[in-house]
Amino acid sequence: MLRDTLQTLLNAYGPSGSEHAVAEKVRELLEGHVDSMKTDALGNLIVEKFGADENAKTIMVSAHMDHIGLVVTNIEENGFLRVGAVGGISPELVRGRKMVFQDGLPGIAVLEPNVKNKARQDLSDLFVDIGAETREEAEKLVSVGDVCVYAPDFTYLGKNRVASPAMDDRCACALLAELLMYADNQKNHIVGVFSTQEEVGLRGAGVAAYAIEPDIGLAIDVTAWGDTPETKLPAVKLGKGPAVKIMDRSMIATPAVREKLFEAAQAAGVIVQREVLAFGGTDGGAIQLSRAGVPTGTLSIPCRYVHSANEVIDMRDMEGALKILLQFVDLA
Amino acid sequence: MHIEDFLREITAIRGLSGDEALVSAFVKEAFAPLCDEITVDKMNNVIARKKGPGPKVMFSAHLDEIGLMVVDIEKDGCLRLGNVGGVDPRILPGQRVTVYGREPLLGIIGAKPPHLLTDEDRKKNYLREDLYVDLGFPYEKVKELVQIGDQVQLEHRYVELKNDQAAVKTCDDRACVAIMYQALKLLQNIRHEADLYFVASSQEEVGCRGVMTAAFGVDPDFGVALDVCHAATPGAPGWRTHKLDSLVASMGPYIHPVLRRKLTEVAKDNNIALQTAVVPRNTSTDADELGRARAGVPTVLLELPLKYMHTTVETFNRNTLKEGGRLLAQFAAAVSAEWEDELWT
Amino acid sequence: MDLKTLTEAFGPSGMENEVRALLKEEASKFCDDISIDRAGNLVCRRKGTDSSLPSVTFAAHMDEIGFIVTGHTEDSLLRFRPVGGVDPRVVVSKWVLLGRERLRGVIGAMAIHLQTPEDRARVLDYDNLFIDIGANDKKEAEALCPLGTYAVFETEYAEFGDGFVAVRALDDRVGCLSLLQILKNSDYAGDLCCAFVTQEEVGLRGSASAAFLIQPDIAIVLEGTAANDLGDTEERFQVCVPGKGVAISFMDKASIADKGLFEMMKEAAEKNGIPHQIKRGITGGNDAGSFQRRGKGARTCVLSVPCRYIHSGNSVAKLSDIKAQSDLALAFLKSLTA
Repeated sequence: MLRDTLQTLLNAYGPSGSEHAVAEKVRELLEGHVDSMKTDALGNLIVEKFGADENAKTIMVSAHMDHIGLVVTNIEENGFLRVGAVGGISPELVRGRKMVFQDGLPGIAVLEPNVKNKARQDLSDLFVDIGAETREEAEKLVSVGDVCVYAPDFTYLGKNRVASPAMDDRCACALLAELLMYADNQKNHIVGVFSTQEEVGLRGAGVAAYAIEPDIGLAIDVTAWGDTPETKLPAVKLGKGPAVKIMDRSMIATPAVREKLFEAAQAAGVIVQREVLAFGGTDGGAIQLSRAGVPTGTLSIPCRYVHSANEVIDMRDMEGALKILLQFVDLA
Repeated sequence: MHIEDFLREITAIRGLSGDEALVSAFVKEAFAPLCDEITVDKMNNVIARKKGPGPKVMFSAHLDEIGLMVVDIEKDGCLRLGNVGGVDPRILPGQRVTVYGREPLLGIIGAKPPHLLTDEDRKKNYLREDLYVDLGFPYEKVKELVQIGDQVQLEHRYVELKNDQAAVKTCDDRACVAIMYQALKLLQNIRHEADLYFVASSQEEVGCRGVMTAAFGVDPDFGVALDVCHAATPGAPGWRTHKLDSLVASMGPYIHPVLRRKLTEVAKDNNIALQTAVVPRNTSTDADELGRARAGVPTVLLELPLKYMHTTVETFNRNTLKEGGRLLAQFAAAVSAEWEDELWT
Repeated sequence: MDLKTLTEAFGPSGMENEVRALLKEEASKFCDDISIDRAGNLVCRRKGTDSSLPSVTFAAHMDEIGFIVTGHTEDSLLRFRPVGGVDPRVVVSKWVLLGRERLRGVIGAMAIHLQTPEDRARVLDYDNLFIDIGANDKKEAEALCPLGTYAVFETEYAEFGDGFVAVRALDDRVGCLSLLQILKNSDYAGDLCCAFVTQEEVGLRGSASAAFLIQPDIAIVLEGTAANDLGDTEERFQVCVPGKGVAISFMDKASIADKGLFEMMKEAAEKNGIPHQIKRGITGGNDAGSFQRRGKGARTCVLSVPCRYIHSGNSVAKLSDIKAQSDLALAFLKSLTA
């Protein structure tokens, strides 16, 4: 079940640079379903499932395991932790949130309430309170360089929607895992890449694509939303189907791959949306520019409140996306 | 084809970054009779090879153009716009455009009129978010014809001015593609030792993306990037502008000094005037990515001065264009394997 | 080779020739396979005897921050821009050397007697700063320092205080020095490479090429990094502290250290009693970003010498930290074999 797979993956700890716990979960899920699994120098989990056709193309499908977090940069005398950003984490969104470290140690992210002469508070006003009363006590629990992330928190919202931290991009990891489980005798070779360090600059996918040399690239990622009271762009709504990316800051989707995605959607009987995003990027950008160029597209899951502790998606968009992916690996 | 006719034709062809297939096809057809091998790669880069036994030299000028993209359709039928590349919103109000929907559609870019703006807002420029394309159709018809992601191209006119100057959109950088065309023509009658690759590259305007993959594929020994630079216009800082009447050879850390010296020597030997620009860091041209392809490519940058870059009236000197072709051909003929030994002296 | 000689060499990004020539001569005493690659990097390789060991590359950049001449004024001054990040506020009233010939120049500013209160409040930016070489007219200035002439701060090497040194270009001649130490002292049985790279200061250019060329299993970057420990700075903004040893990075803007290597470094330092600290703060970026991501990717880690006033004419470091950098690099190599 897609929802169970999703929940399993959402619970794993995995900020950029420390994604191995997520990779372990994926390995457990895929054991027995695929032809090979290996991990590279950057921690990417690379999974192969061979295609049936003698002229099979190699399709690299990428979903990133990492998510944003806060890295400890200093332990202060009074036991508070000063932190820096791992990926695009904003002080407004993280304030007051419960965070956890790799070993489960909890902390509260606090935006200093008593700051004067400052128009806008930034990350230097933030600290994490782990309940330690002295530096010595804190140092027994954490070290400089340790990273905390939003505490896992899975919530059902209404009939079809779910909210959780790390939905970006574990929902895509779930889709990729299920694609690898359920693709059966498909035409093309699938090389699934559960990639690392996307949130700090598409780093994992770049080296994975270099090593794999795929014929076609596809990233699965979340996109922003245009359906809350004051937000109109991108013109993408939750529950109205997955979105085929036209362009964002990292990539203009290769027209041929984009059209194949539309074709796959039609064959699967799934309605899709068209996405033009003025910001952001996905692994697709790194794959497309690998070596002498790889025709590449991105399939997006509309997601509200991206990079907050409650990233909301609609399960109907997820189910649609899985159907499209299963068609795509046959059609391309 | 005369070099100016080449430029007049190519600047009209639709080829926004990421969707250059039409303009690639035009270049391929024009270059094919002048070279030994020609391919269009996965990123729409056109790669024309004129064989030689010597070192591989890759020339690169980009063929994509800046433009706009439909990002939303309002209930009143007007189209909201996003950028493909750096379009200055100040040039847009009142501009005529073509929207490539199910069929090409003419549109006018409109904005809230000044008499409806507050005094304060009148003193500011329009932002792209304030502007829209008016297609003159009702919503239902617009929905039939146009989808999100459709491309919007600015108006094309080729205008000849006094003193050998001419103005047209997309001189950046198809004027340099025209220079490569001219060089290829001249090279039909000049002996060259080097193995020459003329690349009309894609997606420069969104981050020099085409040249990355083209250079990986070609794997050259030396690189020559061609792009446009600024000619003096009112308000522009003097140290960043140049005279319109001759080419510019940049220098700085991203430009290989020995190769640049070779270029200036070739120019001098052939009585071709050359100005100097200093770029303290990245050049924001194909040269940057060409230089860091694979394990590195010693690269020079040759630039054509333009007035009013990224507008629909990019203005250049026609004589400078021709001199560019001559310089490129002579440089290509001068490249020799011995240069390798001088690179790090 | 000593630090004084190395820091006296002229090497702003794009003109590392002098530094490269010096290093090449010195490195050739300890290494047979030396080449200069397409980006001007000096690549020194030593083939290993044990192929089961990972291939390891150490990298340091030869280039330094500096200036480049961008124009000449009618009154015979030179206009210029920084090469790499140089805050204009550290430029006023300084001496510079121009070109390989090391022509002298000064950067002045209007006398305080003549300034209005507004003049005082305003930062002199690069549009309002000029190098004066004393030329009689524009023509002479152009002839002596044509467009594109490089310049560096003129600073004399000085050891001072409790084992500190002040000179320009500590970033990253300290790393270059450590690389020489590694070549000289290591008996690592796996493939070893020391890469002296170009153009770090203008966007990790040289290392992008070197990384692609070498594609090692492990890349360790040896750097100088900014220390901000004085002037009543809150501890959390200090980044690292000169005198407390070589700084090991867990992350910066360009790369995240491989967790395993990071732990191995700490362990090697502790076991061998090498003074070390964890670099606090995640700003800045260096060649590790190239090595991590070019080609098939490599596991990376950065070891830095803390430097105060790093991109000025007088960067300051502690000599014991410089020694700790090469000590830890060598100890790490040993721990790979153990």
